Amino acid sequence: MTIHLSIVLFLPLACGLVAARLPGRAARSAVLAGPLAVLAYVIVMLVDFETGGGLQWVTNDEWISELGISYKLGVDGLNLFLIALTAIGWVACTFVAAFSVVDRPRQFFFHLALAETAVLGAFMAQDLALFIVFFDLMLVPFYFLIGGWGTGERVRATTKFVIYTLSGSLLMMAAAIALGVLATPDGGEISFALSDLANRPVAAGSQHWIVLLFALAFFVKAPLFPLHGWIPETYRSTSIPVLALLSGVLSKVGVYGFLRIVLPVMPDGAEYWQELFIILAVFSILYGSILAFSQDNVRLVLAYSSIAQLGFVVLGIFAFEEKGAQGALFQMLNHGLVTVPLFLILGVIAARARGSESLSELGGMAFRAPVLAGLFLVIALATLAMPGSSNFVGEILILFGAFENQLVYGLVAAVGVVLAAVYMIRLFQGTMHGRVGPAVESREIDRVNLAAIAPLVAVIVALGVYPHFVVDRTESDTSQAIAKTHAEVSVIK
Amino acid sequence: MDITWYLVLSAFVFAIGAAGVISRRNPLVVLLCLELMLNAGNLALVAFSRMHGGEAGQVFALVVMVIAACEVVIGLGIIVAMYRNRLPIDVDEMSELRG
Amino acid sequence: MSATSYGWLVLAFPVAGMLIISLGWRLLPGRLPGWIGTAAIFLAFLASIGALVDLLDHPEEERQLVDSAWTYAATADFSADLAILVDPLSVFMCLVVSGVSFLIHLYSVAYMGGDRGYARYFAYLNFFVFSMLLLVLAANFLILIIGWAFVGAASYLLISYWYQRETAVRAGIKAFVINVIGDVALVVATFLILDHVSSLDFLTVFEGADRAFGDNDGTLIAACLLLLVGAFAKSAQLPLHTWLPDAMEGPTPVSALIHAATMVTAGVYLIARMHPLFELAPTAADVGAIIGCATLLFAGTVALAVTDLKRVIAYSTISQIGYMVMGASIAAYGAGLFHLMTHAFFKALLFMAAGSVIGAMAGIQDMDRMGGFRRAMPFTFITFTVGALALAGFPLTAGFFSKDEIIAYAINRGDWYVALAMLGYVGAFLTAFYAFRMVFRVFLGEAVPEARELEQGHLAHGEPMNPMTGEPEDTDVGFPGPEHHVAERAWSMKAAMGPLALLSIVGGVVAIPGISDILEKFLEPTFEDSRFHDTAPTTGAEVWGLVAGGVISILGIGLAWWVYVREPGTATRLRERFAWLHRFLVNKWYFDELYEAMFVRPAATIGGFSRRVIETEFVQGTIVGGATGIVRVGTSVARAVQTGYLRLYALFLLLGVAALTLYFLITSS
Repeated sequence: MTIHLSIVLFLPLACGLVAARLPGRAARSAVLAGPLAVLAYVIVMLVDFETGGGLQWVTNDEWISELGISYKLGVDGLNLFLIALTAIGWVACTFVAAFSVVDRPRQFFFHLALAETAVLGAFMAQDLALFIVFFDLMLVPFYFLIGGWGTGERVRATTKFVIYTLSGSLLMMAAAIALGVLATPDGGEISFALSDLANRPVAAGSQHWIVLLFALAFFVKAPLFPLHGWIPETYRSTSIPVLALLSGVLSKVGVYGFLRIVLPVMPDGAEYWQELFIILAVFSILYGSILAFSQDNVRLVLAYSSIAQLGFVVLGIFAFEEKGAQGALFQMLNHGLVTVPLFLILGVIAARARGSESLSELGGMAFRAPVLAGLFLVIALATLAMPGSSNFVGEILILFGAFENQLVYGLVAAVGVVLAAVYMIRLFQGTMHGRVGPAVESREIDRVNLAAIAPLVAVIVALGVYPHFVVDRTESDTSQAIAKTHAEVSVIK
Repeated sequence: MDITWYLVLSAFVFAIGAAGVISRRNPLVVLLCLELMLNAGNLALVAFSRMHGGEAGQVFALVVMVIAACEVVIGLGIIVAMYRNRLPIDVDEMSELRG
Repeated sequence: MSATSYGWLVLAFPVAGMLIISLGWRLLPGRLPGWIGTAAIFLAFLASIGALVDLLDHPEEERQLVDSAWTYAATADFSADLAILVDPLSVFMCLVVSGVSFLIHLYSVAYMGGDRGYARYFAYLNFFVFSMLLLVLAANFLILIIGWAFVGAASYLLISYWYQRETAVRAGIKAFVINVIGDVALVVATFLILDHVSSLDFLTVFEGADRAFGDNDGTLIAACLLLLVGAFAKSAQLPLHTWLPDAMEGPTPVSALIHAATMVTAGVYLIARMHPLFELAPTAADVGAIIGCATLLFAGTVALAVTDLKRVIAYSTISQIGYMVMGASIAAYGAGLFHLMTHAFFKALLFMAAGSVIGAMAGIQDMDRMGGFRRAMPFTFITFTVGALALAGFPLTAGFFSKDEIIAYAINRGDWYVALAMLGYVGAFLTAFYAFRMVFRVFLGEAVPEARELEQGHLAHGEPMNPMTGEPEDTDVGFPGPEHHVAERAWSMKAAMGPLALLSIVGGVVAIPGISDILEKFLEPTFEDSRFHDTAPTTGAEVWGLVAGGVISILGIGLAWWVYVREPGTATRLRERFAWLHRFLVNKWYFDELYEAMFVRPAATIGGFSRRVIETEFVQGTIVGGATGIVRVGTSVARAVQTGYLRLYALFLLLGVAALTLYFLITSS
């Protein structure tokens, strides 16, 4: 079966458009068709993938030839599993959203579908300008989803979210254009295709500020300290399925950008900022973890834990070591796989506590809901990277990569592992164990959420048993991505 | 013939019109002054056309006259609407499109 | 079938048990989950025997067999398979673990009857046994760490098994966090080793260790110290021991299995398994020996003062593991593992008997409320006493032979190790004393109301409540069930305790100095590469050691008899005389308070500070405020121009045109 990536890319949007025109019931089926079809394609891709075969199923067309922008899509070890994560995440969340009561459902589903297309495009794009187009396109449906269907202080949250992300994105766009221009050889044609840019070196001085601007945009998305200020309000105001996707999938586009664009094309710039970024990453790990176990609101616990987890990913990338980069990519997948069901479970918990999301009012929910508690336990243990889960393999690879040349930073980051245990067990116990909380009316997990969460748990367990499935396929492309950067031995070794 | 005098006259009339647009508060008077500016421009156009010997300037002046007429119609229409809605006929009071 | 196939079966049976129980619990009526769990472990035990038999079939040089299932993760120089190592050490551990686990499962079938979470209990227990077996069968560092962590997770799940109890939940997270500290230490140690030897596989590492590291290499010492941190976290040695007494919140069979017989011995197993590395880094080994010795004294002193029955036994466990750690650290591997085995027997027995007593007391665990159960519970009395005799090292019990062998080895090493040996004898004296402190306080003396009721024939019934805090509870899921069980009335409990009592008496036959050294010979293939292989003490020295040990044990028991039976009231008088010492011991040397002040409170303070100050002031105020502020200032400047006044706009227009015209006029001239 031939796979044309454009089909995979635009199928969700098409289904979303269709769903926007159909009435109620039919809209639900139409909007589910898109993500399910994408998932089917993704499974075929996973089976068909040629390990070590470079970019596959490449679509390369001229788009704006005067500006050197091509419509180039491709899948290799770097984005294969991120695309899979997108597909899985969207199926789960669309499913949950489709069966819950939503205001103005047709617009909601359309935006959800548009968001999937944008994220898939960002992952698949092999042209810098195309990547930027999709990166900024991602913002549009999420703006509506958060602002139009959120709760509480949603307008403020959306404004902050948009201003933050846009500031970063626009700076990145300027940097990207500069990169394209500066990279053009004398008398040559300008081109934004990543394969061309990788072969056209740019002066080291320019690389420094270009990388910085890219990093600004990506660190806002990730998020990393200190650009995480948009997190608390956005996480408090967004509805659960959207939040699951925001936290689980969207956050990965930024760090993926480092591996896809920054490191292969601008290695000198990346080396220049290596130490600072590692410090920011390690600080994020500690800061995020400490805040995570100091929060009362369960959503914010997960919000700050995301900062910590993405700190590990950034540490893995900027260690400039094969193991570290492998681990970072694996962790992107793992973190997404545990975050999506975690938020869905939070939704289930809130529904059984009269909407309360405060740890002081929750507790003892395992009492009448053993299946819920069991699923939550598996996911919680995976999130804290307990050995035996794939998160552990990702984390140990990151730590080993960091230890190679940045031993001290790695050791500080290792403390973060202990802190992760503290906040996740605190979250699990605070909601499931202990005396039944004042707001709680516990009952077993409902079928819709079970249907969405159980397969995710199955995937998590399966990856824990056989993580080499992912490691094997991503190895050659990750090493290639970091090949040009030379690991600087840190001043403090 | 030396067209300098026509241009000077045109400039004067333009300046008078501009001063009137800026300083007067009654919209009718503003429209009047606007007409003055337009006619000053017409004068300059015709003068230059005479100097260069072409007809482009004169044709352009005719077009300007048409446009001035249209614009006056709309302006007077707005003023009548203002009057009908009992709004003060004062340019300074019409500041709803403020930032 | 080959030994490694048996090895996989050993792992497969508990997994199967766990899956059947956890997925089908709604369909399994009554005590069936219990029987399924027990059967699974029994099959694992049989498979261990199969592995043993097959291993003995191989010639001695070929008794280290590795089998790999699939590649777990491999990239760059990091390569780990899902592989098991079947050799004498791992088979020994499998036999002890599966054997004792089987008996404890049998005991639990009756003991946990009536508990509303019955199936969950057995699923967790099977998961635990699987994890422990994975740990001892691991062939490389990665699988070891996985087994290590699974054991910690199982321990957490079982400690907070009665999850509606706040005390149990708190104990659970404490145990888990300390365990994770150990995990992280193991990860860092693994890296240091991988960095130098470029392999994660045990046999490859052990062979290449002396080439990769010089003698007493700094990195190797660091790696071994980190391994020790991991071992101490798991085995509850100083200073990472604080979780074990709290872990007594779990059901008594859990305490027997995990916190006496198996999980806490994982640290000893680790040191024994890594002996090639420790022997290359003697500094680290010495640290291990010293801490083992310090721990056995510390725990011994605390066991003299605490009054909760289970906690006395818990401290006794910490103390005995101190002996094992000390033994493994001074290269007395056979002796250390021998003590591990005998300790598993008598400690599990002690906990089981204690469980029976607590059942008779309707859940109360305080020794101050117990007394005179001798007549009401004869079977429990006999088995408890047998366990206590073995613990005290009474002549000819299993504990007698094992504990004193370690001390004999220490004396044999000479130098300052002799000091360790002397302290070991002091510890043995304390052990004998507190062991019989328990016996005399619980079974002798005036019969308490519960005992008298039981003599009449009916079991005491109390209001369900938390034995530590007295907080009222109910008997639904998440709390202990309404029934209490005593060994005298449950045949499965008797069936479990009987064999253990027997083994506690005769288990010593595998290593009687001068007569039999079955254990030593069996373990040889694993330990023959040890530098200290030929430095065993002479039979004469060992016999002298045994005599000394026996005398000390009898003295200890005698003193306990004098304090508690002959002159009751002595204990109270001593307590008043040395009130400050008593308080120090009862508060466990204030370790919990120390850690609270050093770690818990600062973490909470930093967390609160970050949440209140850094987040609000710095991040929201400066950075977010900064960005939005710039946007706001910029837009307000732009807005200021849009006044809405027509005349102003006209003015700007004219001024602009004038300026442009002037500019062009000037530049063109």
